[in-house]
Amino acid sequence: MLENVLNAVAAGLIIGCLYGLMCIGLGLIFGIMKVVNFAQGELLMLGMYVSLYLVGGFVALGILGPYIGPFVAALLAGPVLFVGGALLHRFLISHVSGLSIASRTETGGFGQLIVTLGISLILQNGGLIVFGSTPKSVLTPLSARAFILGPFPGGALLFLNQARVYSCAVAIVVAIVLWLVMERTRLGKSLRAAADNPVAATYMGIDVDRAYRIAFGLGAGITAIAGGLMATYLTFTPFVGLDYVIIMYSGVVLGGMGSILGAFWGGLTVGFVQQVSALVLPPQLQNAAIFVVFLLIVGLRPEGLFGRSAERA
Amino acid sequence: MKTPTIGRRAALSLGGAAALAGASRAVAAPAEVEIALLVPLSGPWAEQGILERLGAEMAVHDVNKAGGIKSLGGAKLKLLVIDTGATAETAKDAAQRMLSEHPHLVGGMGCWLSTFTLAVTEVTERAKLPWLTLSYSDAITDRGFHYIFQTSPTANAQAEQIVPILMKLAQDTTGKRPTKVAIVGDNTAASVSFLKPIKSHILKDEKLTAVVDEIYTPPLSDATTLVQPVRAAHPDFVLLLSTASGDDKLLADTFSEYGMPGSKMPLIGNGGHWVVPELLKTTGAPILQDIMIGLANWPGKDLNALSARYEKRTGNPWFGHNEIFAYAHVQILAWALNKAGAANREKVADAIRTMDITDGPAIYFPGHHLQFDSKGRRVDAELVIVQWQNGRPVTVFPEAMAVGKAVWPT
Repeated sequence: MLENVLNAVAAGLIIGCLYGLMCIGLGLIFGIMKVVNFAQGELLMLGMYVSLYLVGGFVALGILGPYIGPFVAALLAGPVLFVGGALLHRFLISHVSGLSIASRTETGGFGQLIVTLGISLILQNGGLIVFGSTPKSVLTPLSARAFILGPFPGGALLFLNQARVYSCAVAIVVAIVLWLVMERTRLGKSLRAAADNPVAATYMGIDVDRAYRIAFGLGAGITAIAGGLMATYLTFTPFVGLDYVIIMYSGVVLGGMGSILGAFWGGLTVGFVQQVSALVLPPQLQNAAIFVVFLLIVGLRPEGLFGRSAERA
Repeated sequence: MKTPTIGRRAALSLGGAAALAGASRAVAAPAEVEIALLVPLSGPWAEQGILERLGAEMAVHDVNKAGGIKSLGGAKLKLLVIDTGATAETAKDAAQRMLSEHPHLVGGMGCWLSTFTLAVTEVTERAKLPWLTLSYSDAITDRGFHYIFQTSPTANAQAEQIVPILMKLAQDTTGKRPTKVAIVGDNTAASVSFLKPIKSHILKDEKLTAVVDEIYTPPLSDATTLVQPVRAAHPDFVLLLSTASGDDKLLADTFSEYGMPGSKMPLIGNGGHWVVPELLKTTGAPILQDIMIGLANWPGKDLNALSARYEKRTGNPWFGHNEIFAYAHVQILAWALNKAGAANREKVADAIRTMDITDGPAIYFPGHHLQFDSKGRRVDAELVIVQWQNGRPVTVFPEAMAVGKAVWPT
């Protein structure tokens, strides 16, 4: 029994960190721009495919081998999707978000929902045309290997999947770097200012539209890194985003809308609940357990688990 | 007595009438006969549909190259390939669209996943469209439908067949009968059907105890909580009743991670998704080594020439479960059209219902016998077992089809 508990808790925390990184991407976009992005799952999917093609198509990554190459590719998927996200913002999202739209309360929100939903559908079906429907995976032997810890009392062993452990470590480092950028740099301050009070930020000389573009690019890039990391142990198709977009929203709402740290903790909580619930519930109710916890928290703490204590973006 | 004679005018009239009748018959015979393949081409089961499409396309090519449907004046087959999408609802919508846009369809096949087939055949049955399926769920042919023909042994029948075979194989190899089995499966219709007889009587009959019984909703995002209890329970073998190759990879990887790869712990999968080329690419040969899979069909050594032609045509490494079923289904429809002599749904369905053959399309099934019972199930449908050996699925059962020897991991 101890072994089951240990392994479920460890798997929950490790997967939770990846969910956390995924949620940060969405949290950034919502926290700074107040845009509900339905296409976030597809940005995750693009991160997976970019990572796959970087590993397969670049000699430099090929030289790094199947142990390091996939993780470097996942990190490189971030900048690629940052540019993609910024372009998406420039040509589409900016028309339904930002200062000028925020004041038009009667239409602004609806426009965002429809545009991001449209982008989601285009990316899914465009992905189907470009990438095909055959399931893919970034092949690494680490996905089938474990670090084995123990024995613990009763002879219990703890198995930590190597691909997920390395992915989790990368996710934590990326989350910390992002947090430092947001807290300690001029760019972070301008993003937070644009989030808190875009009008005042404009008066202070901050280019709010540029800040929003960077925020959208960052949100896309961070989620893409999470996608690239998950691609090391999961198979994926152009429709994979659908499986994770609900998890992302649950994590962001659980952690507290608008809070980046909260989004990470929210994602971590979702992963933890998903895995640990299987100890007492049938595995087919894993996702139902997430929503029970979600409803409980929304009912008891509508501002989210970390809505007050966590710092706003 | 005067012999009745036909005058010159009467003879000319009769000849003209006969010529007109012949001409009208020639006009009635269509230049093309439409048949449909409705399978997932997007979503988690897309790979299965793509492989079915490749098999069906080759069969249509072969039928047309051999002169088409002879009783219809050499009419060519035209294959309509339609995507079910990723859910039962989209599959049903696709079936409705298919029927409204193609009123001259005379038959069809699909939809690979039992859950989709159950939904789609509600629509095709109303339209009296003869429908061939490889889907495993017993529920498909338990509803009293008249236009559905299930060419695979049902999941229930497969479960009845596979467990005794495994028990014997284990006993022959290890010298003792297994007593503990772990069951890990999803909650789709085929898996549920497969498990029903196992839980109701097979375990008891075979003196087996299910030490783990974990059912999940696909797709999996992690298999730790499914595999960890298996490690703790030390079963003699594991039944893996997944239905998506993404889940297969995750399960195979996780069993390997927990020190129970197929080469050490007997892992028994079920269904064509376990033997698709893409699984080899995403998982790798060492992780799949020795995993055994129960299948409703697989080309035996007597179909080596057909397999080689398919491999050359498509560039795929083998002619497998999904491909041979689709190939055989097209051949069955062509045979039925030929026998019916009309591009008419009712007549084609009748031809399939009354078929009892050991040649023609029958050669694409184990046992080489093609006949359907009153429910629409293939009579004497036999199970095939293949095993991953050195990066290839190798037929190991039945002996008449086997090209390799089964390995029971110890």
